[in-house]
Formats: sequence, C-alpha cells, structure tokens
Amino acid sequence: MRAGVIQTGGARVQADVSKHEAKFSMGLRGPTLRRGALLTPVDAPAPLDAAAQARLLGLVATARDRPAFAMLFKHFAPRLKAFHMRAGLAETAAEELAQETMLLLWRKAGSFDPARAGAATWVFTITRNLRTDQARRHRGGLPEPPPEEDLSPSAETLSLEAERAARMRGALATLSEAHRQVIELSFFSEAPHAGIATALNLPLGTVKSRIRLALSRLRDALGAEP
Amino acid sequence: MSIQHHLSDDTLLRHAAGRLGAGLALVTAAHLHGCAHCRGRLAAFEAVGGALLEMEAPAAMAPSAFSNVLARLEERPAPPPVLRAPRRAALNLPPEMTLPPVLAGCDIGRWLWLGRGVRYSRVRLPWAPDANVMLLRVAASRAVVSHAHAAQELTQILHGGYSDSTGQYGPGDIAEHDETVLHQPRADEEGCICLAALEGGLRLDGWMGRVQHRLGL
Ligand SMILES: [Zn+2]
Repeated sequence: MRAGVIQTGGARVQADVSKHEAKFSMGLRGPTLRRGALLTPVDAPAPLDAAAQARLLGLVATARDRPAFAMLFKHFAPRLKAFHMRAGLAETAAEELAQETMLLLWRKAGSFDPARAGAATWVFTITRNLRTDQARRHRGGLPEPPPEEDLSPSAETLSLEAERAARMRGALATLSEAHRQVIELSFFSEAPHAGIATALNLPLGTVKSRIRLALSRLRDALGAEP
Repeated sequence: MSIQHHLSDDTLLRHAAGRLGAGLALVTAAHLHGCAHCRGRLAAFEAVGGALLEMEAPAAMAPSAFSNVLARLEERPAPPPVLRAPRRAALNLPPEMTLPPVLAGCDIGRWLWLGRGVRYSRVRLPWAPDANVMLLRVAASRAVVSHAHAAQELTQILHGGYSDSTGQYGPGDIAEHDETVLHQPRADEEGCICLAALEGGLRLDGWMGRVQHRLGL
C-alpha cells in the first residue's frame, strides 16, 4: 500500500493511490496485452471528471494556479506512467515521460481549447508526441520542426469534441472483448498489425479485418461518428 | 475539386496512436493538411487515446515526482533547436503547384529517372533518416508498369492525377495500397505528381522495385 504525498506551497494533498490500485489491479500486466482494463468497470467513479479537468486546466492557463496543477498531477501523472508502461516502457522511462508530460501540461495549458478536445485527449496527444520525439532521437533523428499552423477539424465535428472522451469510454465498453483488444493494442503495440498478430496469435489478414470491424462497431456505438 | 479518396480508419487510428512510421505519418499529415473531413475523424480517434488514458489503472509515481516537477515549473524551456535549412534541388514544378507545408523541414533531391516517363526525387526527413519518402512524377497519359506494393504505401496526389482499377485520383486524394494490390495506374493528360511513402520489406517488381533498388532497400 502506497500513498503519494504531494507538497504544494504549504497545502498538502494526499494522493491515495492505493485505493485505486485495489479497485483496478486485477489481471495481467504486460507490454502489449492488458486484461485488467478490459475488466475495469467503466462506470467506476472517475476521481476527476472531464468538466473538472477542463476547469483546472483553465486555472493553470489563466492564473498559473499551483493547487489546480497539483490536482491535475495527482490525476494524470499515475495514469500516464501506467499508460507508457503498458506500451512497453520500463518503469523509470515511463515515470520520466509522465513527469515531462506534466511539465508540458503546465507550459502549454494556454493552448488547451475545451471546444476542440477533452482534457484527457489533449493530455494524450502531448504525451504521444513526446514519446514519438524521444523514440526518433534514440534512432539518431534530429528534432522535427513544429507544425506551422494549427488546423481545426471540420465544423460539423467541432461541437462534439469536448464531450467525446467521456462518450468514447462508454462506446468502448459496449465492444466485445476481442474488438476492444485490437483497438487497445493499436495504441500499445510498437508495430500494430504484426504486434497484434503475434500477441493474439492470429494471421495478419484476420487482424486487419478485425480492426476494421472493431472500428465500425465503435462508430455504431457512438452514433454517426467518427 | 473535392476530395474523393480519404485515409482509411486503420491508418488514421495508427496515426492517432502515434504508431505510424515517420514516412507514412508525413504523407498522412500532408493529406490531413488539405482535408477537414479526415481531421475530424482523427480527432475522434485521438479521443480513443484520451479514453484509454482515463481508463488506465494508476501506477504509483516516485515519491519525489511532484516536487521534481514543481521545482521545474519556473525553468525556462530549452530554446527551440536551431534547424539547418533544408537542402532543395530545383524541381521545376508547375507554377500553380505548391508543396505541402509538412515538407518544410525535409531535404528534397533532384529528379532521377526511374522508367519511361517516370521520375522520382528522394525526400529526406532529418528527424527520421531511415524513412522512405519520395516525390513521384509521371508524364502525361503514361501508364506505369503493373506493379505490386510494399507492405504499406501511402500516395498523396499533389498535382494532376491518375486512374487505375481502384478509381480516379486527383489533387488532394490519397491512395492506400498494401501488398495485396496489383494495379496499373495511368496518369492523366496533365501528368501526375505525388508524394509517396513506403514501408515494409517486400521485394517488388516493376518500377517500385527499381525504387527499392535505387534507395538501397
Ligand atoms: Zn480525407
């Protein structure tokens, strides 16, 4: 049982990680296959809901509010670490990436636009880009120039962005385990098709058609999108 | 002209997940630049990433994690790296044509002969020197020798167009092919210039085979 204690300008925030561990830590852990999350009840109370996340991010952006940052850290950092460990990173690397992501969250909070994406989705894209940059540097690549412009999605999808992550969790929950598995593995496996084929011991063609089917089921569950 | 051929769900999902190789990701970004429809779909797939992050069972951070980050909040971010200017050969592109902005940091080599009526120019990504990306230029009304494909190929049409058994492709369209496709594209009257990335270690016949050979794959 561990409890992380975070110190913030005199205010003490108790990060009761052990409680969540008890609730979530069933099943196997591995670089690619996860069973624990597949069994996780999706309606388990989220410690910080999407609206609270967006509000706290707004406080960080406009007021450089450290208690707000502390709450976001308590919520996101342990999930980011777990996310990267599931994707195959060693614990120290995952820890480091989670910390770097939180630092970027602080710096970039001003560019978070709740009309464009949910807070968790925005955090996900930050950490995804960090990991990609790191992987390229490891292979001898130079930094990629930052994109010149910030293009928005089409107007008809825009109004749906903010609430999407929450609805997406619901939609993922309606998928069969086999379908949810291939979608998750697309995120957590280094070489998606081949990696999934190996992890599930399936032919490559079967993996590809299963992904197509899983995505079409996901689209059905969401209504008309994505 | 409106876009007829879009990115597949599978490719967009892998792009959202950050799991496409740098070359395929570049061509995907070139399509996204011109296609609001696919940008909307990408946002939905990124939301899958957000949902997976939210569903993750928390892993305990190091006891010093928060104080580490707190101590760095006022740190000045590292200055952006000074990038050398990309090396560009004179490509003699049609005056009305512009290269997609995602190529801004890339080196682009001169046109090299690949086959009758077909030339290619190597595109180098400084952030991923091993990526296989090229510009292809097919002369007007020229049919390309029937060919099979690498494990995955993405081709974004930049100028002109072509037709094959899978349809008619024009500016802004993207073609996705894998090793199961065997086709014989024929360029339109104005010819065709496209940006292509290939990935996967299949030995190819025909002109893509010559690309492989030239690139030393
Ligand atoms: Zn499109």
